[in-house]
Amino acid sequence: MATEVARPRESPLGITVRGLLRQRSSRVALILLGVIVLIGLLAPLLAPYDPAAQPDIVGLKSLPPSLAHPFGTDPYSRDVLSRVLYGARLSLTIGILATFVSLTVGVAYGSVAGYLGGVVDGVMMRVLDALLSIPRLLLLLGVLVAWPHLSIGALILFLGLTGWFGLSRIVRGQVLALKHAEFVTAAQALGASRRRILVKHLLPNLVSPIAVAATLGVAHVIVLEAGLSFLGIGVPQPLASWGNIIQDGVDQIATLWWMSFFPGLFMVLTVLTLNILGEALRDSYERRS
Amino acid sequence: MPSPLLSIRDLRTWFYTEGGIAKAVDGVSFDVGAGETVGIVGESGCGKSVTALSILRLIQPPGRIESGSVIEFEGKNLATLDDDEMRRIRGNRISMIFQEPMSALNPVFTVGDQVAEVARIHAGLGRRKAWDLAVETLALTGIPAPEDRAKQYPHQLSGGMRQRVLIAMALIMKPALVIADEPTTALDVTIQAQILDLLVNLQKEFGTSILMITHDLGVVAETTSRVIVMYAGEIVEQASVTELFARPHHPYTEGLMHSMPHIGHDQERLNVIPGTVPAPTNWPTGCRFADRCPYSWDLTLHDHPPLYDVGAGHISRCHLAKEPERRNQPHPPLVVEEGVDAA
Amino acid sequence: MNTAAGSSQPAANNPLLSVRNLKKEFPIKKGVFSRQVGAVKAVNDVSFDVAHGETLGVVGESGCGKTTTGRTILRLLEPTSGEIRFEGRDVRAMGTSELRAIRREMQIIFQDPVSSLNPRMTVGAIIREGLTIHKLAEGSAADARVSQLLREVGLRPEYANRYPHEFSGGQRQRIGIARALSVEPKFIVCDEPVSALDVSVQAQVINLLEDLQRDHNLTYMFIAHDLSVVEHIADRVAVMYLGKIVELASADDLYREPLMPYTQALLSAVPVADPKARKQRILLSGDVPSPANPPSGCVFHPRCHHPAKDAACTKIVPPLEEKEPGHFVHCIKQTPTTVSWEQQKAAGGVHPPERYLPLAAVHA
Repeated sequence: MATEVARPRESPLGITVRGLLRQRSSRVALILLGVIVLIGLLAPLLAPYDPAAQPDIVGLKSLPPSLAHPFGTDPYSRDVLSRVLYGARLSLTIGILATFVSLTVGVAYGSVAGYLGGVVDGVMMRVLDALLSIPRLLLLLGVLVAWPHLSIGALILFLGLTGWFGLSRIVRGQVLALKHAEFVTAAQALGASRRRILVKHLLPNLVSPIAVAATLGVAHVIVLEAGLSFLGIGVPQPLASWGNIIQDGVDQIATLWWMSFFPGLFMVLTVLTLNILGEALRDSYERRS
Repeated sequence: MPSPLLSIRDLRTWFYTEGGIAKAVDGVSFDVGAGETVGIVGESGCGKSVTALSILRLIQPPGRIESGSVIEFEGKNLATLDDDEMRRIRGNRISMIFQEPMSALNPVFTVGDQVAEVARIHAGLGRRKAWDLAVETLALTGIPAPEDRAKQYPHQLSGGMRQRVLIAMALIMKPALVIADEPTTALDVTIQAQILDLLVNLQKEFGTSILMITHDLGVVAETTSRVIVMYAGEIVEQASVTELFARPHHPYTEGLMHSMPHIGHDQERLNVIPGTVPAPTNWPTGCRFADRCPYSWDLTLHDHPPLYDVGAGHISRCHLAKEPERRNQPHPPLVVEEGVDAA
Repeated sequence: MNTAAGSSQPAANNPLLSVRNLKKEFPIKKGVFSRQVGAVKAVNDVSFDVAHGETLGVVGESGCGKTTTGRTILRLLEPTSGEIRFEGRDVRAMGTSELRAIRREMQIIFQDPVSSLNPRMTVGAIIREGLTIHKLAEGSAADARVSQLLREVGLRPEYANRYPHEFSGGQRQRIGIARALSVEPKFIVCDEPVSALDVSVQAQVINLLEDLQRDHNLTYMFIAHDLSVVEHIADRVAVMYLGKIVELASADDLYREPLMPYTQALLSAVPVADPKARKQRILLSGDVPSPANPPSGCVFHPRCHHPAKDAACTKIVPPLEEKEPGHFVHCIKQTPTTVSWEQQKAAGGVHPPERYLPLAAVHA
């Protein structure tokens, strides 16, 4: 005889999370990612050795995996397992912080352009087009070759500042569509200021594409950073990142297989899980709209 | 009495969702005679559209036509027919007109092509012949300058024109039955008048049977000869159109008729059916309308009413047929609590 | 309910809302540089008054400009030209803060229950927003007001914590109504508030709107395409076609004696829920022309069935003139008319004006 709504209270966030957890692939991805993040957080506790320590330069050079060194040692006699664990910490941090920078700039740029519209939007988009025409990798290479000894902070900044273009386009598109939604008109009819509409009505409805972009963005930055470190212009020694561990073993890449295998494995797992989650988020958000 | 063109017996279409089994159509039986226009009337969620889609076997998973359902047409049971045979029937012997003309038409083909395609598939006509037949059929639907219009794309036509194109597509093979699912709901009133007029004339000319699905009692009154009222997945009343409007029996039908404003009949306040339709995953065991009914009593809460005979060709799923004096004892429906209840 | 109140002439009886020569055009742009090549005249010289406490119905088919009129009056769309006076104050001249203040007094209810509520806000937040913007209440006082409003529209106060998607169409409309009421307006534009609802739910919402009008002394501009709903709820009705008001009269007069040929066709097209009333129908030929390119002279002339229709109709733009007390019609061929026979002949007229009222159009 129920005449009223019988379903339990369900916020849009709750629905998304439930949708994610429903699929096995996302559940597995979430758990795996959680493990990797945990490893990164707890690296100082988990690593058996100091990643920069070189206790026996001759005796411990380039040893294959053993009980004492489960991931072997590198040509600089450092324990690879510890370096990979610390590498998780660093690569994830760089990924997250750089993506945060991208999100901030991208959302701000895109929502201003979309909301103001007209000439302002036109100009902003043409500038964006120009920026988009430069391949991100080349841009980064150009910067990093010009200033080869950048701090991690500067690296994060550059990675972030080159990664916001696509997101701002998406955000602008969403804002343009949302601008004409009736609930926005309703807010205007109530007397809401433009700022209020932007912050309280438009931005919360951008959460979905932003979440998708963030997840996929972190994956992308991790790969980029690994590539740059591999080329020697990313994370500086003696800090460990997955990319520069592979770099360290590149001269004898076939014999020192553990130098590519273990960091590579971690990278692949991280990027894979992030992509799976990002796609799942995108599916659930696209299905709802 | 000639055998009916379409005979549906105990049709059940259930949807297997996460929230449970939604029994959208739960035991529906009715006939459509040759050359007859039958209306199915009801509000959203009553199951009328699902019934229409079931006849043409257009139900997708998680929906399923349950075994035991019989849809007899031209000697075959459509519910169990194999896919190839079913395809030969769709558009050919039974066709459908949908509510939203824009989404039913493919935007990248000309309307002429889309109408002609039906003839190419079912009659095996060549391109030239099929095109000519398409233009002829478009002319029949009253589209001016059909040879030119046929070369246009759907977005170049107005809503009324697009609906005429859909009608042409539905009629080109001169089917025995046309199912019209809210064919005029999305149209303006003056265009609706044109389209309904067209359907009635075409029906007279071709002798096609029409199953008209709508929520608009006015449309039903003007175009049909027999009306079926659906509520909560079942038929709650069926009668000839004059009988239904003169003597509605089921309280839902009554309530529906009194909640519509009529031009020229000044009502101070519209009659309201309080409450909402129950969820299809959880139909009540007794009468499904009981909690909203002004005449309910304990029998109706526990005993699911069968279809009673209440007049010539008039059936009603209401226990009032057994205890008609209860109609003199209306009370506020059970669903009204503290006045804080709304649809 | 003031049935005789209001007219389209500047009223001596202080209308609540007064609109004169309102126009709203949307530019049509083409080409790389978005040059303006034409304009859609969505609202094309519309004038009317709304008296305190009355319900003005506005009917017409798609593209007639009724929704645009409603939004332009509230300056949700900026008018191209014309005058809008609310309680004598010039709405068009208002700056940002004045406009914000007057928004308390003029509110709107939307047609689509799905898109008119922010899916990411709780029902309580949606209703509370007006209170926050105008600093009417805060904290627990605001919560109390939200509960009161929910109860008033027939919903449980506990619903304030839920999200719009958890509710049915009818319930969502009620939430929208509560939102509009939250700022204690005097005037509400109801933009097709029941068109998207089932028949039995429509009745509930219509009754609610009538109750609220009585309890809060509200004035409504009720926009709809369903003529029976409008006749039920409106005191006076304006019929719009291609951006113009073509007839304006009390609801009774309009439905009893529609003088504009378009209104006659419109009324005759409404399906009647009575199988015995097989009536004559005036079938209009063709489709509504595009508002980007309206016909010259009388906008309705290409489809008009008036027996006196002639070339004069294609040249002269009819004034909206009073043919009966309080009954205004846009037609030079319905008697009486101030457009003299000489003027009409000069424009090519061959049929003198005559009063024409086909039976098919009349609902007894």
